[in-house]
Amino acid sequence: MKTALKTLFHFIHGNPEGKREAVEKFLNKSEEFRLLLAANGKALELMAEMTEAARSGHPSGITRVRAFSVMVASSVRQMIERLCRMAPGRYDALREVFNAIVQDMDQAFAGPPKGPLGPTVVRMADLRAIDLLETGSKVAMLGEIKAELGAVVPRGFAITASGFRLFMESTGLDDEINRLIQIHDGNSLEELTDLARSIRQAIDLAPMPEELETAVREQCARLGDVRLAVRSSALGEDSEQAGFAGQFATRLGVKPAQVTDAYREVVSSMYSATAMTYVRNRGLREDGMVMAAGCMEMINAVAGGVIYTRPPVGGDSDAVIVNAVPGLPCAVVDGSSMADSYSVDRETGRIRSRDIAEKEIRFILTSGGKVRKEKLYGGRELEPAVPDRDIERLAALALRIEEHFGHPQDIEWAKDRDGLIVILQCRPLTVCEDAPGPRSKPWSDDEESRGLAILSGCIPASPGAAAGYVVKVETEEDMFRFPDGAVLLARNARPQLSALLPRAAALVAEFGSSVGHLANVAREYAIPALIGAPGAVERLSGVGVITVNGSNGTIYLGRRKRMIQREARPTARVRTTDVGLALERVLRFITPLTLTDPESTEFRPEGCRSMHDITRFCHEKAVYEMFAQGDRPVSGARRLAGERAMQYWLVDIGGGTSADAGGPANSRRDITIEAVCSSPMRALWYGMMAVPWEGPPPPTMDGFMSVMTSAARNPALAAGVRNDMGERNYFIVGGRYCNLQSRFGFHFCTIEGFAGDDPNVNYALFQFKGGGASMDRRHLRSRLVAEILEKRGFIAEIREDALFARLEGVSRQAVEQAMAVLGYLLMHTRQIDMSMADPGMTVRYRERFEADIERLLEGLPNELREAGCAA
Amino acid sequence: MKKIRLLLVDDEPDFLTAYARRFKRRNVEITEAQSGQQAIDRVREGEFDVAILDVMMPEMNGLETLRRIKAIKPDLPVIILTGHADSGVLIEGMDMGAFDFLLKPVGTDELYFKVLDAVRSRRRGQP
Repeated sequence: MKTALKTLFHFIHGNPEGKREAVEKFLNKSEEFRLLLAANGKALELMAEMTEAARSGHPSGITRVRAFSVMVASSVRQMIERLCRMAPGRYDALREVFNAIVQDMDQAFAGPPKGPLGPTVVRMADLRAIDLLETGSKVAMLGEIKAELGAVVPRGFAITASGFRLFMESTGLDDEINRLIQIHDGNSLEELTDLARSIRQAIDLAPMPEELETAVREQCARLGDVRLAVRSSALGEDSEQAGFAGQFATRLGVKPAQVTDAYREVVSSMYSATAMTYVRNRGLREDGMVMAAGCMEMINAVAGGVIYTRPPVGGDSDAVIVNAVPGLPCAVVDGSSMADSYSVDRETGRIRSRDIAEKEIRFILTSGGKVRKEKLYGGRELEPAVPDRDIERLAALALRIEEHFGHPQDIEWAKDRDGLIVILQCRPLTVCEDAPGPRSKPWSDDEESRGLAILSGCIPASPGAAAGYVVKVETEEDMFRFPDGAVLLARNARPQLSALLPRAAALVAEFGSSVGHLANVAREYAIPALIGAPGAVERLSGVGVITVNGSNGTIYLGRRKRMIQREARPTARVRTTDVGLALERVLRFITPLTLTDPESTEFRPEGCRSMHDITRFCHEKAVYEMFAQGDRPVSGARRLAGERAMQYWLVDIGGGTSADAGGPANSRRDITIEAVCSSPMRALWYGMMAVPWEGPPPPTMDGFMSVMTSAARNPALAAGVRNDMGERNYFIVGGRYCNLQSRFGFHFCTIEGFAGDDPNVNYALFQFKGGGASMDRRHLRSRLVAEILEKRGFIAEIREDALFARLEGVSRQAVEQAMAVLGYLLMHTRQIDMSMADPGMTVRYRERFEADIERLLEGLPNELREAGCAA
Repeated sequence: MKKIRLLLVDDEPDFLTAYARRFKRRNVEITEAQSGQQAIDRVREGEFDVAILDVMMPEMNGLETLRRIKAIKPDLPVIILTGHADSGVLIEGMDMGAFDFLLKPVGTDELYFKVLDAVRSRRRGQP
């Protein structure tokens, strides 16, 4: 291109040295202007996307908010640089204004300030509830009930939030994890799995800080030769706002020497695909996640389970629900086994009802510290896991814990070989407050559904009713393929499935319990769920659409509309999320437009309050520097005269117009197209005018609506923001050169060409972006234009709706033809995006364009021969 | 058209390989450097039209590398391409005369057009 420009100057005859310098300066300026416009478009586009994310309430993670903010800042800074190069020294103050706003933006998405580091580990015996900011609530609550209620809890210690911060900061892991999240762009389960793998690798490679390693070793030495459970106790985990039920890892049977390795695993689990999905869906800040851990002596349990101090799915609120399994309690929690279930009267403390399940397996701790699954047989699978008096002891203890914390509790317990009841964890319980009350009619009376039940007697785990296509999920592959809005059917209620729940209509699992993790998450998302549905996989596979009633435990064939309506629960209250708040805060420094009047005295760098103000200021001033300034190589931009040319202006950088252009009568303000002798401009203009434009095509209704909404949404497209200069279309011409910057409504376009005698320096270039219709239609339109250009030798690239095409190294005639084609396409493809709804339309347009172009090119040689000052 | 001579600086070999492969099909001649020091040596030895520079690199970070590259070849356009959304680096880098600041991930097309912009802008700036 360098040689092309030199050649260009050779064609500008009779220029005194000074004038040639001016031409060069002008070309440089117009290049800066072009880059400034590109950055302007990018900045506004990013702002629109951020505004949309804030409006929809679904920003996808703080990393994206930060990335978008920095990308906006980068584009705006780019505009400032370009403007400062167009007019050196005149707008330098912008940089400081910019820096100050960037500082405000950084503050807006910064997390809460971090205090000094505290101890990296704390003994269980020293913990109280108030320590939850250092240890997470899970561990702090155990310390609390031991100290205050005398409950038995495992011996052990906590690795604190300070320990986590030390690990993250001393190794640079925090930066690296942010970077990995940033460069893994995407929200799909597949991409998140990939990201989780990278983060895990980074965590595995990071050295454990010496200080933490030593502290852990000392604690382990104190405990002696025991096996430990290393449990996640993330900050915010188990809070009422976000349960994270079962999202994070627990390592059981850990030898003292392996504690830090297990801790690494627990930390990694915070970044698993399922945990990240949860964090994003909940709008939590991934950079605010802190993983503390509890390292507790393993209880060699003969039985264990879960207590809910209130029925979690509504119903009898006077009951405490106790679940029990033989062996370690993990079988209840992860849903891999059926459990005995008791209802205990809160008043009398007596068992009111019991349901002894058929328990096929139990988990036991081997002497080597491993957790092993064992099959139960010989009638033992039908025996209660614990005697009735244990159930009543458990209920009594659970009620004391509830009373102490003043909130219903979800408690995990174990019974050791000496018969001692040990509390492993307790946390606030999510209760469905608006669970349906007693019904006026029994279910069998439902006329619509009578005879359509295909499975009944399943255990309700989350109330409500919903319908969808039933899709069985067994493997990881199945998870990736799970379609939105389907009913999730699974054999086991594995916690991993929680990643799919936000997209599922309902959940049905054969095994597991209504008190397991997955049930918790289903309730959090208000998705009807049945867990404990024997035979569901066989009965439901391939039956198509089913309706799952999570209140009465029945599954029906087809979509039972009335039932779904009747069961409808008020949608979960929309909370402004942490990420949403950060986004709103940062947008205050980005999108407000306060600089509206270029004539006002406030219209100066110091008047800019937001990134949008700066873009507005830069754009206005750039247009001024480009076209309204005095020091141009020729006297100024002249308006193209003639009925169809009124909106075009022309700047001659030398040799592009005949000497007596416009004639003396018109002074030097106007010029006619006849006076233009730049052949690429003549060809371009001919292409633009040869076939009359029929006006905008009738838009399809949704196409039109999408124009209206994008105009309403994008502040840059609002009427008050337009400026006269920016609306104009400019030709910059030389003897063999032509550049057109144009804007038609929502369409921005640059066409440039050089047509000399040496093919090596010739080129034609086309850039096109925008449109009013939805992105997919704009993309279709760009595709169509690209196809037509590619057929004529252009290399075309498309990114979303932007099209870049270039043709190089061709003869003068080929460039002229290309310019004519570009002119035609410029005029005739605008706004067709609105009617590009179907492939048939694309075909019709393509055929018409091809025919027009054929005809047009036949007439081109004649047109150029007639040019007033042809060489 | 003449090949574009691009210096690609990143300590992640995977990243280098992926972009090198995609760019080679587009009339771009790629020289790779896996550290700041290597980048500086390459700039001293050879002629480039544009450089793409990562920020977080062990030993010499991207900003220091940029400072030294600019000391050797003030007019070589340098595009910062980083996985760290850090506004401090943006400001410092642009103050040092970086041509642009991009965040990973960047599509090949977008990066390619930025490269063209940088090359074009530099050639315009020369007599």
